[in-house]
Amino acid sequence: MKVQYKPKRNLLETIFQVEILQGMALTLRKLFSPAITRQYPQEKPPMYPGFRGQHALVRDSLTNESKCVACMRCATVCPSRCIKISYHEDESHKRFVDSYTIEALRCVFCGFCVEVCPVGAITMTEVFEYATYNRDTTYFDKDLLLENWDRFMAGSGHDKTYVNPFWRPRGIPESSLPAQRRMNVPDDWTVEKQFVGKKATSSQQCLTATTAGGSH
Amino acid sequence: MQILTIVLQIAILLAIVLLHVAYATYFERKIIGHMQVRLGPMMVGYHGLLQPIADGIKSFFKEDIVPEQADRPLFLFAPVICLVTMLTSLAVIPFAKGWVLADINIGLLFIFAMSSLASYGVILAGWASNSKYTFLGGLRSMAQVISYELPLGLSLVGVMMLSGSLNLTTIVDSQGSSFSSMYLFPQLIGFFVFFVAMLAETNRVPFDLPEAETELVSGYITEYSGMRYALFFMAEYIGMMVMSSIGTICFLGGWNGPFEVPFFPPFWFILKVYGFLFLFIWIRATLPRYRYDQLMALGWKLLLPLALLNIFLTGLFKILVH
Repeated sequence: MKVQYKPKRNLLETIFQVEILQGMALTLRKLFSPAITRQYPQEKPPMYPGFRGQHALVRDSLTNESKCVACMRCATVCPSRCIKISYHEDESHKRFVDSYTIEALRCVFCGFCVEVCPVGAITMTEVFEYATYNRDTTYFDKDLLLENWDRFMAGSGHDKTYVNPFWRPRGIPESSLPAQRRMNVPDDWTVEKQFVGKKATSSQQCLTATTAGGSH
Repeated sequence: MQILTIVLQIAILLAIVLLHVAYATYFERKIIGHMQVRLGPMMVGYHGLLQPIADGIKSFFKEDIVPEQADRPLFLFAPVICLVTMLTSLAVIPFAKGWVLADINIGLLFIFAMSSLASYGVILAGWASNSKYTFLGGLRSMAQVISYELPLGLSLVGVMMLSGSLNLTTIVDSQGSSFSSMYLFPQLIGFFVFFVAMLAETNRVPFDLPEAETELVSGYITEYSGMRYALFFMAEYIGMMVMSSIGTICFLGGWNGPFEVPFFPPFWFILKVYGFLFLFIWIRATLPRYRYDQLMALGWKLLLPLALLNIFLTGLFKILVH
């Protein structure tokens, strides 16, 4: 590493303390520049697609119930193990969800559960202001999760097809995604241009290098 | 009757100065905020205008904690020393022609005496709190006062030589009312030394070693709380104003300005003091704190010789002219 030292000040610069004056000029300039502060409670931050807020279970408009099929994928993938599901099966091995709970205080908001859900039952809303004085209210059971969805639908501008296209398992081709996930996403989120770890990019670079070398 | 008028004048002066102190804190927070691309206080009142009043009420009603191991009488008395000495020096400052509580002949000397006494408050606070941080803050304050009192006094010797008086009104009068006759120009070196020593004397950035937050928690006021803490704060701001006033009187021609303002003669004086206060805040928003040995080196190796040089040049100039 090459260390770049500042050039030594000459006598005139030392006498007039040019660096101090430069610093003062900078602060004076900044005095008249607009502040970047966001006055939070009055002024909400902008929401970007892919925001991982409060959890909700999507209420199916046909059955008026949750879409969950108790496949247990979300509970399995959850790194903080905050999802607990219990279910029973009937004779035809159809599963019925008895209870579905998310402990929001344990959740790390990684969004894996949403990515992995095959039916788009669980989702994360754009609600982030649900701080409370009571621990019990952060322990979402199925009814509360459905309520979260209703409240989000009523409060935000989204319609019932709110499925975030960004929550998709990475590296899986478009065709093998569930139907709701096959939506238009920005270029760098498509399978071809997705950034999937260092290995993937370096192998891709190797590939392009060899093809470039071969063409010569 | 005369005593009554003087008491009334003191009360008015005190009210105005304390209001200024309150709003100087607001001004400082706003200016520094905007310089750091923030907004500063915004919540209390329109753009936080009532913030200083809210702060005042809060600190007034807060619990006044005295540490168990502290030297109780000294601990309680130290902030009073700080504030009283600073307020006392306000008495001799002429805000306009005749607008002065005590027009004494040794005004400048009196202010030096008072500002040195104020540092006793700081040192005693540091000692009486019986805590390592406050003690270090007090020690630093002591060393700082000793090394900067000298250049501060010597830098004004040039002004005394030119005006031939220690009376502040006479110093202003001897500067005349024109722009070019301000002592700032013949005493440029003196002004520089005075300005740097003034920053150190009022414990402001970049010489705020006595209360260096990053090293000493809050320095000599670490153990204070509530109103006593506010007293130290008030003392600091009044000290800033007194020093700004001295700078205005001795170098910038006091209340003289481009034109007379009817009904309110101290207009230009106050404007210049505000300018100084802005400079204080501006420097605080820009400069980092000096290291302890750098502070000492600057005081003894640069400012003191410069002040002496200034005295020599002024004397030489006076001899050559006459």
